[in-house]
Amino acid sequence: MNGDRRASILATVAGLAAAWVAFDLLVFFYGESPRRLFVLLFEGTWGTPYGAGQVLFKATPLLFTGVAVDLALRAGLFNIGAEGQLAVGGLAAGIVGALLPPWVPGPLAVVIVLIAAAAAGGAWAFIPAVLRARFRAHEVISTIMMNRIADAAIGLVLGLGFALKGTVRTLDLASGARVPRLERFLPALRGSAVSLSLLAAVVLALVVGWSYRGTRWGREVSLVGMNPVACAAERIPVRSRIAQAMILSGALCGLVSSATVLGYKGYFEQGLGAGAGFGGLAVALLGRGSGVGLVLAALLFGTMQQGGLAINAYVPMELMDVIQGVVITAVALADARVRAAVVRSSRGAFA
Amino acid sequence: MLRLVELEKRFGSLLAVQSASLEVLPGRVHAVVGENGAGKSTLLKMAAGILTPDRGEVRIDRQHMTPHTPAEAIRRGIGMVQQHFALIEPFTALENVVLGVEPTKKGVLDLAAARAKVQAIAAELGTVLPLDAKVESLGVGDRQRLEIARALYRDARVLILDEPTAVLTHGEAEGLYKTLRKLAAGGRAVVVVTHKLGEVVDFADEVSVMRRGKVMMASRELRKGPGRDEELREITEAIMGGGVQELVRRDARQLGGTAIVMSDVHYGRALRGLSFEVKAGEIVGIAGVDGNGQREIVEVLSGLTTPEAGRVAVVERALLGKKRIPAVAVVHEDRQREGLVLDADVRDNALLGEHWRYASWGILSLPAMSRDARERLDRAQAPFGLDTVTRTLSGGNQQKIVIARAIAKIAMGASALVLAHPTRGVDLGASRAIHQEVLAAAAKQVAVLVISSDLAELRAVCDRILVLSRGRIVEDCAPTATDQHIGRAMLSAGAP
Amino acid sequence: MTLTQTIFSVTMLAQTVRMAVPYACAALGGVWSERSGVVNIALEGTLLVSGLAAVAAHVASGSAAVGAFAAIVAGALFALVHAVLVARERVDAIVSGIALNLVAAGGTRFVLRSLYDSSSNSPSVAGFAVHVGAHASPAMALLLRTLTDPLTILTVVAAAASFFVLYRTRFGLRARACGEDPQAAAIAGVPVAPVRILAVTIGGMVCGLGGAALAFDQHQFQSGMSGGRGFIALAAVILSGWRPARAVLACVAFAALDALQIVLQDQSRVPREVIEMFPYVATLLSLVVIGLTRGAGRPPAGLGKHAESA
Repeated sequence: MNGDRRASILATVAGLAAAWVAFDLLVFFYGESPRRLFVLLFEGTWGTPYGAGQVLFKATPLLFTGVAVDLALRAGLFNIGAEGQLAVGGLAAGIVGALLPPWVPGPLAVVIVLIAAAAAGGAWAFIPAVLRARFRAHEVISTIMMNRIADAAIGLVLGLGFALKGTVRTLDLASGARVPRLERFLPALRGSAVSLSLLAAVVLALVVGWSYRGTRWGREVSLVGMNPVACAAERIPVRSRIAQAMILSGALCGLVSSATVLGYKGYFEQGLGAGAGFGGLAVALLGRGSGVGLVLAALLFGTMQQGGLAINAYVPMELMDVIQGVVITAVALADARVRAAVVRSSRGAFA
Repeated sequence: MLRLVELEKRFGSLLAVQSASLEVLPGRVHAVVGENGAGKSTLLKMAAGILTPDRGEVRIDRQHMTPHTPAEAIRRGIGMVQQHFALIEPFTALENVVLGVEPTKKGVLDLAAARAKVQAIAAELGTVLPLDAKVESLGVGDRQRLEIARALYRDARVLILDEPTAVLTHGEAEGLYKTLRKLAAGGRAVVVVTHKLGEVVDFADEVSVMRRGKVMMASRELRKGPGRDEELREITEAIMGGGVQELVRRDARQLGGTAIVMSDVHYGRALRGLSFEVKAGEIVGIAGVDGNGQREIVEVLSGLTTPEAGRVAVVERALLGKKRIPAVAVVHEDRQREGLVLDADVRDNALLGEHWRYASWGILSLPAMSRDARERLDRAQAPFGLDTVTRTLSGGNQQKIVIARAIAKIAMGASALVLAHPTRGVDLGASRAIHQEVLAAAAKQVAVLVISSDLAELRAVCDRILVLSRGRIVEDCAPTATDQHIGRAMLSAGAP
Repeated sequence: MTLTQTIFSVTMLAQTVRMAVPYACAALGGVWSERSGVVNIALEGTLLVSGLAAVAAHVASGSAAVGAFAAIVAGALFALVHAVLVARERVDAIVSGIALNLVAAGGTRFVLRSLYDSSSNSPSVAGFAVHVGAHASPAMALLLRTLTDPLTILTVVAAAASFFVLYRTRFGLRARACGEDPQAAAIAGVPVAPVRILAVTIGGMVCGLGGAALAFDQHQFQSGMSGGRGFIALAAVILSGWRPARAVLACVAFAALDALQIVLQDQSRVPREVIEMFPYVATLLSLVVIGLTRGAGRPPAGLGKHAESA
């Protein structure tokens, strides 16, 4: 295990180095000074309490989706459908939250709304899960299709009368169904939209990370992900573990709404939270292996997103999307090289 | 012609081949013999450019082979027929022969040009090859002849065959050796890698012996006539490492009632009216050419598939209050695929499928898991740490985990033990330990079924040997039956 | 017009052909890649990158032909990266595909803003100007324009050439061997990684053609304009049993759904969103059909596997 951890840290460092180089090169070719922009990037993120708050705000959805994608990945599935699952979850949160009568007490309202959101996200993942378990349909294609269908379906549902007239947003949530912002407890964060949802996400990341070793379900899911054939031979219910992991992954994506719908807007609108699904892929691929890793990865990509805004006046913020891709590629590449070295030195003679 | 100089190959902690040197001459059949796992295949795969040696060199016609790739080895006239045939299943026989050295006309494949040459080669081999049939539709004999034809098509001057008779019936094997003699007579060098000494002595000109990665005896001329028995004993001793193979000790066992019953079982084309019984405390072996239904027998007995017709019953013993333990403990054929989660640690693998026993409210008790896993491994004389990643262990040590898990199921109440090729790719010491476990299980009134292509193994542990051919049992014989007898039985119903 | 009349109209036919070109190119790219054993979900990104390259080169040079050439080169380079990462470095093909799709999505917007100061679309380009007789009805004119468009013709040529090269040449035989059993291919003396890299790159070129078609059809590049076509094309590849001719046919079927969406949009009382879902739902259903029938064919047995090298 020790060698594994070292290899994975090595790969991460390589990924960050590649990101650094990519940033410098792209900025340079764009005709700006990498150093100046890096300073701007820093000042706009961790340089002020507000900037830091915004980083945390951006990191929250990424952490939820990162944990979700990581969970599916453990079971051997690529959940590229986080984007659609979080959108559908957000819609459910918006609708249920708006329908709740105002007398429902705050915490209960939040719980009800989040259960609805998780259920909707889980339901959206249920379809690819069934397609995979019953029809062996590859989840990469089916989840991408579900993302597209989600876009259209949300427009459809909003058009059925759940939207505020003439807009693509739901009505306001019941007053109790809100997650308080952190600025209420830390006045320095004034103005930033980071909410208690962040803490929930961190706790979730740590608990879920622990569950892969500490619980029967979690451990069976990881074993199934590593070798379904051997698990089936020893009567671990492989197909249901895979389906359960996918559905739970979707449910976790639905919880993104705690940061966006409940913690930020107070309603759902088309496109709210978009991008966090693909960001979650990046977080999962970078932070894999541990809850702490996921938290750090989410912070990194949150910083990049907020930093993108900070330098947008000089360099298009889309730069940061490119770098996200570069990080994944570089980490995967470094990983593959390390793995090849390990296999070379340890492969059994009778493979 | 071909010289291997001080070759060395390490796989992780295992030194598979250790400064091995060998010379092969034209016009000779050279047998490389040794136990399973002695390093023979690894050595010859290096000769054919398939594996890269850590040290040493391969010389062909006194020239160092470089780059060390299969393509270069082929170019220099080395052809190897793998134990597991390296043919592209959905391609036709002809396409397989030309792959890598395709004749073309203006950039377009010109299979017609190759056809005549391949047919001539087939004629030289004394056979006709179905050149337009897809390989997936060919039987093992055809596949093997196809591999040989492929090597000859590339003008191989050195032909290496890895365990060529493992998948052949006795009669087919004899035919093969005759063909090989003919090829040698034509001036080629033929190298046969095998663990069956008895089979090659009549056909080979010289023998080299490998043991634990080392060449113990190099290019010993085989005498025909007087002194031959003496010589055979010497070679056998070199294979075994001095001293004759110590037999597995067996005590007389009391047989109980019938514990495993398969009666007229049908499953697809694999099982066609299979019937046999195993009594409690009995060890029954199943011999046969691979692919005659062995895999399906294991799947049916372990409950992974349900047969289309027939009766399958395993008598359950009183279970120790844990009703979820299946009545049959199974050691699957392919431990890396079906037996182990290679990327998980040893603890998880020793307890694979039993995590539920260590969970309360879904939360696992790590100390309890570690305790039980340790106990199982200690019993199996597997001293490695519980956090070791299973992939890093040698084949023998991996198999110890699989066996330990199956044996533990007996203690929990399983009444039958089914082992498929339990010692394949396992070194001698570990093999013996596994055989002891099998005998110990039978002594506890467990019904044991051993499926193996290694007759020596079956003879060593079984009370009866059943011969399987085309999905049914065609012969029920004593472990003392001769190779010829069993071989004829395999042949009697025709090879698949 | 009744629904039947609409479905069998010239407009429908013209729209189907028009929509089929990018799908078909991407699917051929997929066939090339996957028949050689490399899973390729980066087709989506390839469409985007080559689409932008087509427009940018067109704008810069004023020539649509230069634009199409640039698209082919861009597609090849993008696929080359994927191929090297997967076939040579043995990075997980899905991970590489995801990462490259992210790079393509962000990168095209970055370049759009860098070049044209807009992250959503490029300036408009003419594309290939094809003259058809003035006497034709609008629908007939569209059909003729589409059929005589050099990109359509090139697509047909690429399909035929792909079939020919895959099944009738030395390289095709080797590529398919690598896709079926890389270990056996290596033992037969085929250099697996280089063959795969070349096959995937050829696929990238064909897919790049599709990117150009997509962009020229809209007379501009729009960010995210691939709209899942790369993935739908992949579904078509699977549906076809990894066979080039059938993959193109499957693409025509998906294109017909797209076309239906266009021709129905004006005259149907079905909500627009429902019509928009058509191709995606159809893709999901096709996955179910594949599962039920065990597929029109078996995937290449060596898909995603590597030759053991030690």
